Amino acid sequence: MADIRTLHQSLHQSVASKDYPRAAGLLSKLKLALLEHNALIPSHDIPAQALIQARDILEVGAVVSIHLNDEAAFLRYYAQLQPFYASTALEATPSANKNKIAGLYLLLLLTKNNIADFHTTLENLPDGEDDAFVRYPVMLEQWLMEGSYDKVWQATKSSQVPSEEYAKFSQVLVGTIRHEIASCSEKAYASLPVSNAKQLLFLESEGAVVQFAQEREWEVRDGRIYFPVEEGEKEALSSNRIIENTIGYAQELETIV
Amino acid sequence: MVDKKSLRSNKSGDSSSSNNSNKNPNSSSGNNPPSKSTRSSSRRTASTPSTKKAAGASDKKMTDDKKQAAPVQDLAMKDAEQDVKKDATGDVEMADAAKSGEDDKKDDENKVEDPLVTTSNEIKQSFGMLERAVSLFDARFTLRVLRSIASLRRKITPEILAKVINEFYPLGHPSRAYLLDTIGQPESAMQVEGETDIHKVLPEADIYLHLLVQIYLLDQKQYEEGAEFSTRLVGKVHSLNRRTLDSLASKVYFYYARFYELLPVPALVDIRQQLLASLRTATLRKDIDLQATLITLLLRNYLQTSDITQADHLVNKTKFPESAANNLIARYNYYLGKIKAIQLDYSGAHEQLVSAIRKAPQTPAAVGFLQAANKLNIIVELLMGDIPDRATFRDPRLQKALNPYFLLVKAVRVGELEPFFSTLQANSDTFKKDGLYSLVYRLRQNVIKTGIRMMSLTYSRISLRDICLRLGLESEESAEYIVAKAIRDGVIEATLDHEKGYMQSKEILDVYATQEPQEVFHSRIEFCMSLHNDSVKAMRFPMNQHRLELKNAQEARERERELAKEIQEGEMDDDDTGGEFDGL
Repeated sequence: MADIRTLHQSLHQSVASKDYPRAAGLLSKLKLALLEHNALIPSHDIPAQALIQARDILEVGAVVSIHLNDEAAFLRYYAQLQPFYASTALEATPSANKNKIAGLYLLLLLTKNNIADFHTTLENLPDGEDDAFVRYPVMLEQWLMEGSYDKVWQATKSSQVPSEEYAKFSQVLVGTIRHEIASCSEKAYASLPVSNAKQLLFLESEGAVVQFAQEREWEVRDGRIYFPVEEGEKEALSSNRIIENTIGYAQELETIV
Repeated sequence: MVDKKSLRSNKSGDSSSSNNSNKNPNSSSGNNPPSKSTRSSSRRTASTPSTKKAAGASDKKMTDDKKQAAPVQDLAMKDAEQDVKKDATGDVEMADAAKSGEDDKKDDENKVEDPLVTTSNEIKQSFGMLERAVSLFDARFTLRVLRSIASLRRKITPEILAKVINEFYPLGHPSRAYLLDTIGQPESAMQVEGETDIHKVLPEADIYLHLLVQIYLLDQKQYEEGAEFSTRLVGKVHSLNRRTLDSLASKVYFYYARFYELLPVPALVDIRQQLLASLRTATLRKDIDLQATLITLLLRNYLQTSDITQADHLVNKTKFPESAANNLIARYNYYLGKIKAIQLDYSGAHEQLVSAIRKAPQTPAAVGFLQAANKLNIIVELLMGDIPDRATFRDPRLQKALNPYFLLVKAVRVGELEPFFSTLQANSDTFKKDGLYSLVYRLRQNVIKTGIRMMSLTYSRISLRDICLRLGLESEESAEYIVAKAIRDGVIEATLDHEKGYMQSKEILDVYATQEPQEVFHSRIEFCMSLHNDSVKAMRFPMNQHRLELKNAQEARERERELAKEIQEGEMDDDDTGGEFDGL
């Protein structure tokens, strides 16, 4: 147990000094040590003190893996933490970081556009609405769904995020909303001046707009962007479908009569 | 109402008990074949008391529902289940009713008997049914016994149970002392029935008595004891492998899960392991009843702790038996609808919920289930962008429970955020209690969409500023993005002009020039077809009837051949042949 304690302390030190690669190295040692003490899975046989320590180590691990942009590792830590949060042995001492981890997980799901899992996870967080860490991804999801992209843009600025780990996702989010806006604009506008497009798409310069326009194969002429016109796809009644359906009805009737 | 009902049920208890007092329960299995001549006449006598009884039960259920709508809901369903099964067991009941007609005279003599005797006789009669179920291997007798529990339940007292237990079990049987101890009654040394062999006790009847004790504990609100008792009982049921026990076992599990639900939260999680293990066994034994019951119980269990992911995994990994009882299917559909709604698969959820509502028993006892399913369905319809049918809210059974949802629909229909949020605030407690708050909260974007659609239909051109004011949004930029998204999602047909800052609506398309009518027509035909196919599949035919017909046909053919032969041989008079043909 003593070696875990010292390692645990040095882990906190390295996180405090933002030396994340070193923290990752310490974490793998710690996990081995925890495994030896059988403390990686909560049960009533293990003293609560050891479990709290294990939980803290895993939480730090989750945060570190966000800093290292290691999504797979974060998901692993998240999965390992779940039994700790659900455990009755630790009910008396709830973790202060639980909502933070949950919020990060929600944000990760959001950037992957996995809305179904997002809502499923949210159902499991009954007190989520009042917590800054959880509210952040929830608000983002709401704005994304209704289309208030300017609010998402505001929220991704570093002064708005609840903790520095959350800022890690901002880059991805801005990319997501930019593409959303682009696809909306294609349908909504006939043409758009480049200067306005810069504002709409939250890009820094007009050069960036032109580059972005080329990526999406928009036509740029005389300082305006012309969106490709949709072809008249509303074809007349497709005869194939009708024939298919009618034959289907005939078959069914055959079986009835 | 209640008095009348109890009188009536007592009377029916008398009439049936009089059968028993004369003959021993065994004999009733043999001498009672459903005779065709009495069947039609007895139909009337059989149906009147049963409907009255159902109505009486519903009255009581309704008041219960008001008190605690959510927990009672499943219980109410269970009762209703028994009502529906009535059809399946109809002919058995008629046969017995015919018999009770014969014994009318004896009824009068027995009317003064006290409930202790009549009820215990009623229970004992069930033993006879169970024996018949085992010897004929026909589950319908067992179902009939289970159906009678609903009425028995209100009459049971510890004294009655003790009497039955004392008389049923031979001395020294382990269940005897255990059951008596559980209900807190002294053991009597009295030995009424002749049986002394410990091994001769029928397991079905044994479990049935256990089930009665289990229900008694539930009614007495002795949850701790009940949970412990149920755990032992489940272990016992689990160890027995008899097909005739299937429907009894489902009931046992149902109450087992119910007890743990009523205990403080962690208890709920603890029984999952047992339920899953039993599900595995039930699947291996092809025990359809139990399989369906356990899957619905597990889903309910998961949803209560909002473990949607686990519930989803369970649905994906198991196959719900198609031939399960209708009520279980309805319940399964409801849970599936809830899972899908949370996962944003609204059209899938809608489909499940509509079939849940359609399949739910229409008896007043199932009103709690109907309310819950309708609530969820309304939210799902709103999320899909539809406005629920107003007739739903007028249904007298649903009107009161659905009132908050009615207000919500009104707010969404108008398409303004402010009334929506005030409705949400005012009724948030109801929504939270129904476990639908997060779903209701998602409606925000639908309110905005509806608002935009209304404006696009009303004005051919409107400035973004006005949209922003109308919808109660914070900035014009937001309004622009939101409208652009609405255009892309196909909510409205319009274009935006960024420089001048307005939205221009396109001319409304003629729907009849598109594929849409064709598609709607197709989906309706599909529905009718599948309804027809389902009803064909649901028909029941008596076993081996076709063999009888084959045999008859064969006999007729033989007779014909003989006749032909005789004609050929010319040994027959013309009159005789004519007579023979008439007979044919």
